[in-house]
Amino acid sequence: MFKHLFKLIWNKKKQNFLLMSEILVSFLVIFAVFTLVVYYYHNYKKPMGLDYQGVWVINYSNSYQTKNTDSLNLYYSTLVQTIKSLPQVKQVSFTADNTPFTQNMNTGGITFNNKKMDGNNWYTVDDNYKNVLNMDLLEGRWFNKGDYATKSKPIVINSDLKEKLFGNGSALGKLIGDGDNKSKMRVIGVVQSIKIKGDYANTEAGLYQRTDTGSFRWLGKMLVKVTPDADATFEGKLYKTVANYMKNSDVEIEHLADKRVSINYFTLVPIIVLLIVACFLIINVALGLFGVLWYNINKRRGEIGLRRAIGATGNSVSSQLVFEAMILATLSLIIGTFFAIQFPLLNVFSLPASVYIIALFLSIIFIYLLVFVCSLHPGKQAAAIYPAVALHEE
Amino acid sequence: MIRLQNIEKVYRTSTVETLALSSINLDIAKGEFLSIMGPSGCGKSTLLNIMGLLDAPSKGDIKIDNQKTDHLSDKQLAAFRNKKLGFIFQSYHLINDLQVLDNVELPLLYRDSTAKERKMLATEALEKVGLANRVKHFPNQLSGGQKQRVAIARAIVGRPEIILADEPTGNLDSAMGSEILDILLQLNQKDGTTIVMVTHDENMAHKTHRLVRLFDGSQVQ
Ligand SMILES: Nc1ncnc2c1ncn2[C@@H]1O[C@H](COP(=O)(O)OP(=O)(O)OP(=O)(O)O)[C@@H](O)[C@H]1O
Ligand SMILES: [Mg+2]
Repeated sequence: MFKHLFKLIWNKKKQNFLLMSEILVSFLVIFAVFTLVVYYYHNYKKPMGLDYQGVWVINYSNSYQTKNTDSLNLYYSTLVQTIKSLPQVKQVSFTADNTPFTQNMNTGGITFNNKKMDGNNWYTVDDNYKNVLNMDLLEGRWFNKGDYATKSKPIVINSDLKEKLFGNGSALGKLIGDGDNKSKMRVIGVVQSIKIKGDYANTEAGLYQRTDTGSFRWLGKMLVKVTPDADATFEGKLYKTVANYMKNSDVEIEHLADKRVSINYFTLVPIIVLLIVACFLIINVALGLFGVLWYNINKRRGEIGLRRAIGATGNSVSSQLVFEAMILATLSLIIGTFFAIQFPLLNVFSLPASVYIIALFLSIIFIYLLVFVCSLHPGKQAAAIYPAVALHEE
Repeated sequence: MIRLQNIEKVYRTSTVETLALSSINLDIAKGEFLSIMGPSGCGKSTLLNIMGLLDAPSKGDIKIDNQKTDHLSDKQLAAFRNKKLGFIFQSYHLINDLQVLDNVELPLLYRDSTAKERKMLATEALEKVGLANRVKHFPNQLSGGQKQRVAIARAIVGRPEIILADEPTGNLDSAMGSEILDILLQLNQKDGTTIVMVTHDENMAHKTHRLVRLFDGSQVQ
């Protein structure tokens, strides 16, 4: 029977072409949607790598200008002491602008073994940064005061960069960077990569370098870890404290938790739009499929009557029609899979191959279900055709 | 072989009721070649469909080989049509997207058979109707007479005991028509196939064993 149906479809390839291309196009759209959904889910399942609860960001512009580095440092360490003296403050850390859940980036290359890796995030942070964000230390240690006077500049890398540079090997003590050994940097620790762009974004390779005495000339953000009872009143007090200290500076306080929510929206909006578009498309395709199958069945009433006359039951007629639709779907899916598989093979968007594979399977199942559901009712209708009537019509 | 008792058939649509057949009593013996004649609309096709269990009568009994048929399920009816019956229609009812050989094989697909068996039986049936050299053709590459011969091959491929032919020569000129009749006569004589044929042609009807005339749904002869 299978061979028979295949022959029937093959001989009608011209009529079936439209239906097949319709299935193919919807498969490709579904595949795109599923790829994105699976990718987001894949990212969502990864650990965040940091604790954003009770972490506030103080944005300031540099108000204190001096050529003297010592008095600059004194100015900022006094600020820290002032903030820390507030009972609700647990930790304070200075950082460059690329704090978590912002669009700010500072990317650059890094060389190891004469191989240059591009697109790494460079973070300039201080000794308290890891504790404020409660980051996971996987190997070695974070920065401390002793790093002030080491021979090679100490550096902490994240797990993504570690894998890129060293694979499964150890990273500790390795020298990375340009130039001769003197100007290279020594890896002193590895931290778990953080999802700096929110829950649905992937982690990226990154390096943490320690602030130095001159850094205060350009740094513009503090991260403050506060106790759970820190409320709006306290926020006002903190604001006043900082603003009073830093005269002529624009001070602004934000919450990391809020920033996470808004960056999540930012990543979710495109997928929601795409989902809506895909839904309309699927409804369209489903109606189209339904219509074409319906039309085919009406055009084939004579054939259906004949099959009944020569020994087909109503059920076998209806399963034949469903089966034919499934064969058509299979042919389209074979072509579609050929296109879809190019994405992991050519690594077009550098997503993990597993994301594509899962999306591919989901799309195939989805299309089969769609075609099955759309052909079920026309198939049932075909079974209900009175053979005597259908044979009479021609 | 086929016994019709008090058959009545009423077609009901929302507006009209048509009495297509009334009090039909007919006994068809094994090996008989029966023809049915009558004006258009008198119920010939309806009668044939009822004999072929394609349609159920409104009243009356159909016995085949002395078995009542009114309790048969869709599956049993289908199996019965497949094994015992061969249908031939005025408009051939070939599937245009299948080659001649595949068209002829069709009934065998609905019973246990291997591809090899099917091909063998279909080729044999096509030889009987003199079309062995057209197996790869598509129906629309054939003449009307050839199409009807393919339909006959399809009707006999499963070696049925009964052939029901509804105006098999209705679309053909007289030369082609008598060719087709010759094939049917041969099947009846050589293989002992029981044949019921609806026709408008008196000459053809007289070549068969018995003639039944219908008028307005009733037997008149
Ligand atoms: N499905 C149907 N619904 C309603 N009425 C029908 C149906 N099929 C047949 N009839 C009616 O039943 C009567 C007998 O029809 P039938 O087709 O048996 O005639 P026929 O003798 O075969 O005619 P013809 O020689 O033109 O083929 C006609 O009046 C027809 O209109
Ligand atoms: Mg008729």
